[in-house]
Amino acid sequence: MGTTALVAQVAHWVQDGPLADRESRAHAFRLHVEPEIEVLLRVARTLTRSGPDAEDLVQETLVRAYRAIDRFDGRHPRAWLLTILRNTNANMHRRRRPGLVDDWVVMDDQRPAFGVAPAAAEDEALWGRLEADLQRAVQQLDPRFQQVLLLIDVDQLTYAEAARALGVPVGTVMSRLHRARERVRRALSDPPTKGGAS
Amino acid sequence: MIGTLRSMWACHWSARRIQRYLDADRGLPLTADEVRRLEQHLAVCERCSAVADEHRVLRLIAGRWASRTVPDQDAVQRMHLVLDRIVAEDRP
Repeated sequence: MGTTALVAQVAHWVQDGPLADRESRAHAFRLHVEPEIEVLLRVARTLTRSGPDAEDLVQETLVRAYRAIDRFDGRHPRAWLLTILRNTNANMHRRRRPGLVDDWVVMDDQRPAFGVAPAAAEDEALWGRLEADLQRAVQQLDPRFQQVLLLIDVDQLTYAEAARALGVPVGTVMSRLHRARERVRRALSDPPTKGGAS
Repeated sequence: MIGTLRSMWACHWSARRIQRYLDADRGLPLTADEVRRLEQHLAVCERCSAVADEHRVLRLIAGRWASRTVPDQDAVQRMHLVLDRIVAEDRP
């Protein structure tokens, strides 16, 4: 490329091209992605059942989101990011063992990345017992039901967001959620000696 | 007989909507008419009302669980730093 052409190319980059694009890309990325980081961490942990793996997953998701930000129309950033997160998790899954039900215990870990108990209240013991019962009941659910329940009730996603995170239709989310909650409700209503929730 | 069938149908109809009623998901809200009909049923049906109450309690416990498992600020901060680095590395 000759000097004149090179200068023209650089001028184009600065005014309308890659340099200007970088600024708008960085702006769009911060605008759409920064507010969703906490949600991404929550959902990533539900999908991976591990604090460190969740951070790895979110980090990779951020990289992929940045590469794709030019093609993002700015609508529904959470749904867009959850789709990337799900696809990234699927790709990362191929490189490591799948999450197992036994990994559940990490949900209750006091790992550096997650989980600080709130200040104790007078009824802390009762709440603690109810919460332990709930966790036990959820632990016994089929993983598909477990994930939906966690995404909606613990991570507080909407039905549509959970559907994006899992790559299933909204109707499937609602159906799994209904069954999961019914099983948990019945498990908590039964005496513990009567057995599991699923 | 007809009264029993009507009551069973009302319970069935309500059971299919209690979840959406309690979740109040903005993407799939019940219509005002459905809400009114469901609330009327819950007011008179002890069994459905008890089920709804149990689901409310479950939601409370899950909410507490959610607040306890919120990612701490160190993790959030690390991800913000990752984001900063990604943006910075795109600069010439």
